[in-house]
Amino acid sequence: MVRRTLAAFLIGAFVALGVCGTSARAAQAPPTIKIGTLYASAGSFAAISMPVHKALLLWEEQVNAQGGIYVKAYGKKIPIKIIAYDDQSSTSTAATLYNQLITQDKVDILVSDSGSVLTSVAVPIAREHQMLLFDQTGTGMNFFTSDNRYIVLLSDPISNLWPKNVAEFLVKDGPKLGIKRVAMLYSTNDFTGSQATGFRDFLKGSSIDVVYDHGVPTNTSSYTVLIQTIKALNPDAVIELGYPNNDISFLRDLQGSGTKFKMVFTVYPGLETDLLLKTVGEKGLAYTYTYTPPTVIKYKPDYGMDLDTFKAAWIKKYKDTTDFGFNAVAGYVTALVLEKTLATSESMDQMALRKAVFGLSGKLRTLDGTFMLRGDGAQIGELTPLGQIVPSGNGEVKFVILYPPEAANGKAVYPAP
Amino acid sequence: MRRLAVRPAPKRLIPMLVILVAVVAAFAAAPRVYSNQLLLFNTIVYLVLAQGLNIIYGFTGYLPFGYVGFFGAGAYGFSLAVLHWHTPPLAALALGTLVAIILALILTPLLRLSGAYFAVANLAASEAVLQIVSNPNLTDFTKGPYGISLEKIYNPTLSYGAAVVTLAFTLAIVVYLKSSRFGLALQAIREDPISAGMAGVNVVRGRVLAWLMSALVAGLIGGIFAWYVSVFYPETVFDLSVSIFAIVFALFGGTATLVGPILGVLILYGIYNVIGISTPAYFQLIYGLLIVLLILFLPNGIVSLIDRGTRRVP
Amino acid sequence: MLEYSLLAGILFGLYFGLVALGLNLIFGVMKIVNLAHGDFLMLGGYGAYIVFTDFHVNPLITLLVEIVIFVLIGFPLYYLLVPRLQASRDPEMLSLILFFGLSQVIEALATLRFGSSERSIPGTVLGDGPISLFQQTFPVAWVVSGAISLLAVGAIYIYLYRTRIGQLTRAVMAQREEALSTGIDVQRISAIAFGIGIAGAAVAGVLSPFMMGSITPSMGVGITITSFAVIVIGSLGNPLGTVAGGIIYGVALMFMQTYFSSWANLLPYLLLIAILLVKPTGLFGRRMRNA
Repeated sequence: MVRRTLAAFLIGAFVALGVCGTSARAAQAPPTIKIGTLYASAGSFAAISMPVHKALLLWEEQVNAQGGIYVKAYGKKIPIKIIAYDDQSSTSTAATLYNQLITQDKVDILVSDSGSVLTSVAVPIAREHQMLLFDQTGTGMNFFTSDNRYIVLLSDPISNLWPKNVAEFLVKDGPKLGIKRVAMLYSTNDFTGSQATGFRDFLKGSSIDVVYDHGVPTNTSSYTVLIQTIKALNPDAVIELGYPNNDISFLRDLQGSGTKFKMVFTVYPGLETDLLLKTVGEKGLAYTYTYTPPTVIKYKPDYGMDLDTFKAAWIKKYKDTTDFGFNAVAGYVTALVLEKTLATSESMDQMALRKAVFGLSGKLRTLDGTFMLRGDGAQIGELTPLGQIVPSGNGEVKFVILYPPEAANGKAVYPAP
Repeated sequence: MRRLAVRPAPKRLIPMLVILVAVVAAFAAAPRVYSNQLLLFNTIVYLVLAQGLNIIYGFTGYLPFGYVGFFGAGAYGFSLAVLHWHTPPLAALALGTLVAIILALILTPLLRLSGAYFAVANLAASEAVLQIVSNPNLTDFTKGPYGISLEKIYNPTLSYGAAVVTLAFTLAIVVYLKSSRFGLALQAIREDPISAGMAGVNVVRGRVLAWLMSALVAGLIGGIFAWYVSVFYPETVFDLSVSIFAIVFALFGGTATLVGPILGVLILYGIYNVIGISTPAYFQLIYGLLIVLLILFLPNGIVSLIDRGTRRVP
Repeated sequence: MLEYSLLAGILFGLYFGLVALGLNLIFGVMKIVNLAHGDFLMLGGYGAYIVFTDFHVNPLITLLVEIVIFVLIGFPLYYLLVPRLQASRDPEMLSLILFFGLSQVIEALATLRFGSSERSIPGTVLGDGPISLFQQTFPVAWVVSGAISLLAVGAIYIYLYRTRIGQLTRAVMAQREEALSTGIDVQRISAIAFGIGIAGAAVAGVLSPFMMGSITPSMGVGITITSFAVIVIGSLGNPLGTVAGGIIYGVALMFMQTYFSSWANLLPYLLLIAILLVKPTGLFGRRMRNA
């Protein structure tokens, strides 16, 4: 008798709890929106990961100071909470931690670490758990397939699209300037290797000859001998595609060895201008070509802070521990897309979120340009024009936009003096 | 002691088998109660690697700093078989393991070296394999620096099962080494190769067999790792820190035992993940300090606490 | 092109001889592997960077100050870590783990203090424009670094072969047990060698912003691995062989960069393995340490 009463009581209690549980979930909004992400404080990806992550933290602080962000699914403002773990640039640690975010912390939104290598392991995990992966800067071509609906690339275009403008400039304006022979040197990793592939493809069938096309290991720190080799081929333009450490070493060695090429293109002077100014110096950057940073174009954003406001907020918070640059902007673009997605998504269901992100494609204009998605989730907007750095004489640099024609505001100084 | 060296006592076998069954059963059942399966999976990977390292270091004294080379070789052997010849996963695992064993055979001459020379040469070998695999000139075959994507055969449940089986297999090898004349011969070689040789032990054959066994388990679990994660870059599977982790775990637990590396992985990898999840801001600092303190105050591993010099720990 | 690669390789190799010198001295004397070697180098580099940006002090002056500071740091660090380690069962192998832990600690602290972005010192600080050497032009940093490397090696040579304490150090290197039994204060000799070893890393670190373009807190591991290749090619435990190892490494790397650039990193490792297999003591080793 006692036992039966107890059993009945227990069953009743469970049912009651269950009812409370479900009804509470349906009616009430959660106290916070949980955004799970990783960063690398150490190891080879720390330099590109930390600025992206710190931009997210800056955003968290700002929006929570205003009581959170508007979440349409609940019809009100809710504070956000970023749950972030340190993968220390190790992919196996990253894999465990991505899974931790999904299965233990039960985050509402999953954001990957910066860069392709640390993003890679998240792609299958997100798909397996049917979580939409908000891919910040993992631009690897492998990630985007038509049958995977669980990934969107937010803050950088897919890698092989990057060199579009520089390649078209060479094809269209090159012959007029007398550019026929091009040398290309790239670091052998997914990011710059894919750019090299893209560059080759864009040049196919044109009158431009690629007279030197070689990869070097990504940890290459000395370019003096490579520069001599390229010089011996007497090219009209030299394209060097590398990570920050590569570009810094290349440009410094160019200057140190006293070599002058008529045209030099590198990746990072445009992306991390402050960093390159500090490490290479104004003289070493003079008349080089690069991806034009959002700092120069000053896109008028429809949404979020403009570049100057964001940069001021950044410097106020981080001073000189982390340089302001393209990666900081990338992190902030992620934040803006998340904000806008939550403001438009009908529910917190992952597929509803996906629909909301795709709904922004072609419409959202941030400080980084127009956000545009391909059907498989790859970013094809936010493409930076080709620019040339000209010295301004006061330790700062000026960018002249050369290509595409509709964005251009000057003519190339060719050959470089 | 002398009698023990000639004929291992069978009663030592029972506790070891109990440990083997308990560990394997725990990992087979764990996904039902704990949902971060990747954490469990990575723990199995390190259990296998730490025991594989135990086979070569604990029983012969060779410390392969580039042990991850076999792991990576297995992962790439598996992946390339799947990508190029559409080999079914289990057959591809066999091929991946074969690639690791072939690599070990190629590297057999390194066993002529000793101490730090062997460790460094092996590290160089693993880096050399990474340089070859990730070279853009071989992209058509290895996918070069652009990495592997195996989403077609992605199957976390089945690959987790394969990892559990591999764990059982690896532990069984260690149990065998602990309880067979062959294992004792190996330890005799480690202590004094010249006397062991004079006592009729085939020194070269013993070392090479241990070397191949340790490469085998690393290659096998490497292939399963590739299957489980399915999207990865060369740096992922040739990451030096995988070697270092396996070594730290095995040494911390205590080598030449069955329980040492198991305890080492469960405790240290456990702590690693707890720190990583609870205090990410000082992750690297705390973990580094922990390693320094452990080596300073517990240089012979955890089993030395239980053992008190009797060397009777299973 | 051939002459250029050769000369560049020699200059670059001299620098890498300096990079690896301290690692080898420590291994030679203590038979321990300092996996945190590259991290001490990194600290040396940040020292020069901070002093230059905050006080505009020429790195060549910082270099002299750092030698003193790092020798002084080396002393207590030695007594804190090494004697305990040597009491264990397999100190040579355990040292790999201990110093790996130390390397993690140093990298973590450096990241907290300096951030993770690349840092550097303008190349013109060491002198303007390229320098001509045998009708070839080289960055001034390469020539300066090469010269400093030669000076450093000379100093180590004088220390080892022309001073009393150096003689004792060589005695410890040759036969540690015997040295102990003849009453040499092995601990003190080793502590000095440890200090000099990490000071060597710091000297190379001061030059690293110029030779490697930039520095980051995570640069240590890669440097340590390269240093390993250099000292094994030269010969483990023989500090002077290190320079030869460095030059072989440098010339090989530069030739590879010129003719097979994407394979440039493969050659040093293959060279290392090949040399070890043919002559396990390294090209310039005397004693056999074979099993």
